[in-house]
Amino acid sequence: MIALLDITALDAADLRGAAPMLAVTCGILLALAAEIVPALRPARGLAFLGSLVAAIFLEVQLIAAPAGEIFSGAFGATASASLFGLLCATSAIIAWAYSLRYYKLEAPYKGEHDALILCATLGMLIMCGALDLLTFFVGLELLSVPLYALAAFRRARRDSVEAGLRYFLLGAFAAGLFLFGAALLYASSGTLSLAGLRAASLDAPLALMGGALVISSLFFKVSVFPFHLWVPDVYQGSPTPVTTFMATGTKAAGFAFLFQVAFLMPAGAAALTGALAVATMAVGNLAALVQTDLKRLFAFSAVAHAGTLLLGVAALAAGDPVASGPLDAALYYMGAYIFTAGGAFGLVALMESEDERFLKLDALRGLGRRRPGLAAALSLFMLSLGGFPLTGGFLGKYFIFASALRADLLLFSVLGILLSVVALGYYLRVVMTLWMLPAEEGAPLLESKLLSGRLVTWLCTVMVLALGLAPGWFLERFF
Amino acid sequence: MNIPPQQLLILAGILFAIGVGGFVIRRNLIVVLMSIELMLNAANLTFIAASRMHSTSEVQNLDGAVFAIFVICVAAVEAAVGLALVIAFFRRHQSISLDSLGAGE
Repeated sequence: MIALLDITALDAADLRGAAPMLAVTCGILLALAAEIVPALRPARGLAFLGSLVAAIFLEVQLIAAPAGEIFSGAFGATASASLFGLLCATSAIIAWAYSLRYYKLEAPYKGEHDALILCATLGMLIMCGALDLLTFFVGLELLSVPLYALAAFRRARRDSVEAGLRYFLLGAFAAGLFLFGAALLYASSGTLSLAGLRAASLDAPLALMGGALVISSLFFKVSVFPFHLWVPDVYQGSPTPVTTFMATGTKAAGFAFLFQVAFLMPAGAAALTGALAVATMAVGNLAALVQTDLKRLFAFSAVAHAGTLLLGVAALAAGDPVASGPLDAALYYMGAYIFTAGGAFGLVALMESEDERFLKLDALRGLGRRRPGLAAALSLFMLSLGGFPLTGGFLGKYFIFASALRADLLLFSVLGILLSVVALGYYLRVVMTLWMLPAEEGAPLLESKLLSGRLVTWLCTVMVLALGLAPGWFLERFF
Repeated sequence: MNIPPQQLLILAGILFAIGVGGFVIRRNLIVVLMSIELMLNAANLTFIAASRMHSTSEVQNLDGAVFAIFVICVAAVEAAVGLALVIAFFRRHQSISLDSLGAGE
């Protein structure tokens, strides 16, 4: 039963576990207050950054000493939930840092933009630790609804409005699937908590159907084949900082819960999940090979990465002998992915806020000579996304495939590794365009002096290298 | 007043199927939004029926009923944002047909 919350029954552990969420809530309130009181407006950025940094700091403390189940078992302030929450908050910071000069026409509404991003972050934090279907649903909607609005934020532009509408329609459809699935699970077992569902026998057709609906709605959110069709249009049409946030944060939160509910899959579904993972990698990587638009290329690459993460879920379902193996692998992969994809999409946003021509792959030609720092960072992110050794992306991939191999998913692992090689085809094409091709006549020459963009690019670069070169440091502290 | 829960579940299943069908087939955005509402309400009906199914005269299992209230609230939120997006779409296209999605100016 969901114990109706009695405010007097809250104890210190509840508050400690919820502290990161409370910090983000304060940020939302301050961001909204700054919209009402003009005197507060200069402190807007400080409130945004402050609340997220506070949340990250509190999550780090929770990783060291998790608070356990709080709010009568509705929310699990566990180490892995905190780590996922940490990644979500980081992805919000990355997206924000690249958004400062991005909006021109919509600049007066930047405060609303930031408040919406914070709302979505709060939703992610709730999703990461949810221990029953109701809590998860509230988090999911708190994430989704602000993102519908954010995707359509440049409402003077056709592609942005259409991206928002597409994302809304499919998101609402996925929410419908999730709800009916949750209702069927509840009808067959009489409980909404994951612990209760785990204890109940889920072999009845009603429960199987419910589980399938819940899992497929999550597949929608994290863009797994065959539910990935919305991704290219939505990622391309949305404002690029929002795409950055969508590609990294939403994926982290979605996979955090997918790992929690993997037990809903019946025995034998591991092979199906593995096959879906390989299919996702295949469609993502093959479609990315022929793209000439940078955002679309990264969008298909994001689909492919969802496939790799799904292989981790398959390893969990197939029973990796190291019980925590798949989740840890996915966390490491996600950690590297937040910084690489965040940096890659973010640099596109940064360049695009100078000149929209940068959205085409050809506009990157000769950039290595004119802006070596930026080109080097982008190249590093490409190499990490492609899984080159010495980068965080490589180790993430290695951990996932190692876990899949331990779980006897040999065929899927081999196919996945082969597809990663295919992926190098387009990642290296970007690197080659940056360094080896001569610049076009009349290529954009503007240079941004956006400090926050530079700082975050440095942060991403350092983190990608650190995750690749000193994995022991992270594994000791966070796992 | 005593409808067996099985019949309620069947009704909910039919409603959900109509909702999914409408979402997939219809091209009018308003009708698509209505289909989504149908799906959500099918879930609500299931929650309420299941809540009654799992309650005894001594112990009430209200999880489903509480969930249904949350769903009603969230459906209102989604409708608000969704209709705003439809209006923004209409302003550009002078149409609320999904066929104009992605079509040229």
